[in-house]
Amino acid sequence: MSVVVVLVLCSLLISGGFLLAFLWATKRGQFDDVHTPAITMLFDDRTPTDKP
Amino acid sequence: MIPTNTSIDVPCVHCGELCTGHIVDAQEHPFCCNGCKSVYEILHANDLCDYYQHDDHAGVSMRQRPMPADAFAALDDPSVARQLLEYSSESMHRVRLSIPSMHCTSCVWLLEQLDRIDSGVLRSTVDVMRKQVTIEFDPSRTTLRAIATMLTSIGYEPVVRIEAGASHLQQGGDRSAIRALYLRIGVAAFAAGNIMLFSVAQYFGASTMQPALITVFQIASIILSVPVLVFSASPWFRSAAGALRARRVNLDVPVSLGILVLFARSVADIAGGAGEGFLDSFAGLVLFLLVGRLFQQRAFDALSFDRTYRSFFPLSVRVERKQEEEVIPIEGIVVGDTMQIRNGEVIPCDSVLLGQCGYVDYSFVSGEALPVECTEGSFVYAGGRVVGAAMKLAAVKDVSHSYLASLWDSSSTRVQRSTWLQLSDRFGQWFTVFAIGVAVLGFLLWLPNYAIALNVFTAVLIIACPCALTLAAPITLGTAMGLAGRKGIFLKNIGSMLELERTTDVVFDKTGTLTMPSPAVRYEGRELTNEERRAVIAVAMQSAHPMSRAVAKALDDDATSSDACTVDDVAEHVGQGITGSVDGQSVCIGSHDFVHGEGAEQQTSASVWVSVDGRVVGAVHARPTIRTGIAAMIDRLRTRATLWLLSGDTDRDRDVFAGAFPPSSMYFSQRPTEKVDRINELRTERRHVLMVGDGLNDAGAMRAANVAIAVTDDAATLVPACDVIMRAHQLSNLDGLLRYARSMRRVIVFNFIISIAYNALGLTLALVGILTPLATAILMPVSSLTVIGVSVAGARWYARRYL
Repeated sequence: MSVVVVLVLCSLLISGGFLLAFLWATKRGQFDDVHTPAITMLFDDRTPTDKP
Repeated sequence: MIPTNTSIDVPCVHCGELCTGHIVDAQEHPFCCNGCKSVYEILHANDLCDYYQHDDHAGVSMRQRPMPADAFAALDDPSVARQLLEYSSESMHRVRLSIPSMHCTSCVWLLEQLDRIDSGVLRSTVDVMRKQVTIEFDPSRTTLRAIATMLTSIGYEPVVRIEAGASHLQQGGDRSAIRALYLRIGVAAFAAGNIMLFSVAQYFGASTMQPALITVFQIASIILSVPVLVFSASPWFRSAAGALRARRVNLDVPVSLGILVLFARSVADIAGGAGEGFLDSFAGLVLFLLVGRLFQQRAFDALSFDRTYRSFFPLSVRVERKQEEEVIPIEGIVVGDTMQIRNGEVIPCDSVLLGQCGYVDYSFVSGEALPVECTEGSFVYAGGRVVGAAMKLAAVKDVSHSYLASLWDSSSTRVQRSTWLQLSDRFGQWFTVFAIGVAVLGFLLWLPNYAIALNVFTAVLIIACPCALTLAAPITLGTAMGLAGRKGIFLKNIGSMLELERTTDVVFDKTGTLTMPSPAVRYEGRELTNEERRAVIAVAMQSAHPMSRAVAKALDDDATSSDACTVDDVAEHVGQGITGSVDGQSVCIGSHDFVHGEGAEQQTSASVWVSVDGRVVGAVHARPTIRTGIAAMIDRLRTRATLWLLSGDTDRDRDVFAGAFPPSSMYFSQRPTEKVDRINELRTERRHVLMVGDGLNDAGAMRAANVAIAVTDDAATLVPACDVIMRAHQLSNLDGLLRYARSMRRVIVFNFIISIAYNALGLTLALVGILTPLATAILMPVSSLTVIGVSVAGARWYARRYL
């Protein structure tokens, strides 16, 4: 029985960690704009010589 | 420069449009105009020509974009800038600008590299859905004005309005509302998932589990569901409490009651050892309700549905004060100021014309298709657009007291309470009474046995929670709104769909709505010889009058004779016409009386007459071009609604619409206030009025109507406050939209029936006293999922059929 309790606690801790990560990301505005990053990630990086 | 009559089907390097007429050449690249060329040069100079590789139609055509150099001068004014800046410190300012012309991958690419054009820009971030760019810049190296001007010079003119400053704050509010919803969903989903694992174990393995383990699971379930109750479900409690405090009952009251009873009964069951409780259903219910909320919050962020007259005006105006010219924000205009308004600029306040005559295009304010000629001392209204030569105007009223502003204020504000909210509130009252009634009835029936009676009482309240009902409307309408948006019909919120559904009367504006914004100009008369044609064009070009320009354009359709020839004896007669002679041919262009001589029979069509050597050869007619598919749409619509035409223009086009509208329902020469009156008249007859318009002259009428659709040719055009923004090409399917709205109502009603059936089943179980946690755990998600499925499928199926 005690093993199950330990496992339950572990799983709650892990999933709770994910929940906290989600809450943190939402508060930081990670989900405010989910369209533009999908476009910008395909652009080539600027080469150092490009920079003024 | 290549001669203008060579090949004309070369695509412009910048905007990709075919170069008609003039081709401007730079480094052997063809451009359709100087504007496009200069954008290319800016990009080329900054080594940004990759821009053209991301999208075939990257560039924004720079044709017909007169851009006065000091358009953004007001941004230098610290009080204006303060309203726009999101954040400012010594070393960094941040501003968020709306850029309506943003449309493709290339735009994103370029707008995120603004620092390569202006080294004062520190960082620029694009939000493509909202069509906004957030720019951080160093105030010591560049200014807001320089950035706005730079954006304009590369084809991305920012919409800078003072009220936009207010609206970006409001949009920030929207954003935090969505964030809060995500947080609530995250917590609820986490709790629901974990509680379900505990519950499933108890449902199926309780007999083999040690009692201590069951207790651990139950306590864990309670701990997990507390944040759901306190945090995730709080919007319903708040709304219900607000309603009760106002002595009303809305649909959130039975929902809150259901949630509370569900939690309380579960905790009581667990504490009393009576069972495993309903906590999995509880968390699932809150999660479903939150998902419904998510649909309800759907909105098109890039569009602005609520505008005031202020958004139609320029930011700043050039005035002469103490012999000096300065640029001031238009709020700073005081009566008596002398303003300079150039071609294409909007007059910000009612004023009197000083100096020479000029032309003012009131099409946006009044719906008149043709520009009006103004002479010295004549009164010009705010909102008119100057055509041709610059005008000097003396302000006689300040901005907020001008005709346009007063028109805006006088129009009655629409009753904001939307139909579906009323509907759901009334439903909520009825439902609450019913649920409590049945619960009390069940309690009384089982009465001698208090334990079972209390069980039945709570079970009824639990199962009567109208979860599926609250989901039906938001999910159906939210899905429908998204689908319509893909077709170019943008709804302000999900309630707009039900408003459309109730339409009994459709009122159309003419200019810009049923017809194209600018009339088609055509020459009718005797075929002209090439010399005559050249002569007429040359004389017509001498005048800045819009109709003379129209004559030149109508005759010069194939761009064959643009080389100049000398015109002698030019005489322009204000308000009548122009005369002149070319190579001995005398040409006379002007009004009917001017060309034919006094007393000749007058014709009605808007036209300019042309005579050569004293003989009348023909006339140039300006006829409205009706948008494609309008006639068929009106035909189909007539069977469903009463149609009206309210035009600000004169009735010279009456015959064009005679087939579509009965004579008694066409009104011409309507001033904006008359339009409002006419709509209010209809509304007092308890008609549900849909107003379809496009311009400022319809703004009052659109506010007075029950529901308003604004028609727009491109996304960058400003439209008055409305409920629906529609791309012009979709207007031909207006009847389809109304049909769609009706079918959405049908889908919602069907969903109501489904969820009532589930509730009835659940109520029976509850009343008999056998509503077990397992039965609830199955019944609740199944009914919610059925409703969600039917909503989404119905919205999609009808969209394919009607949109």
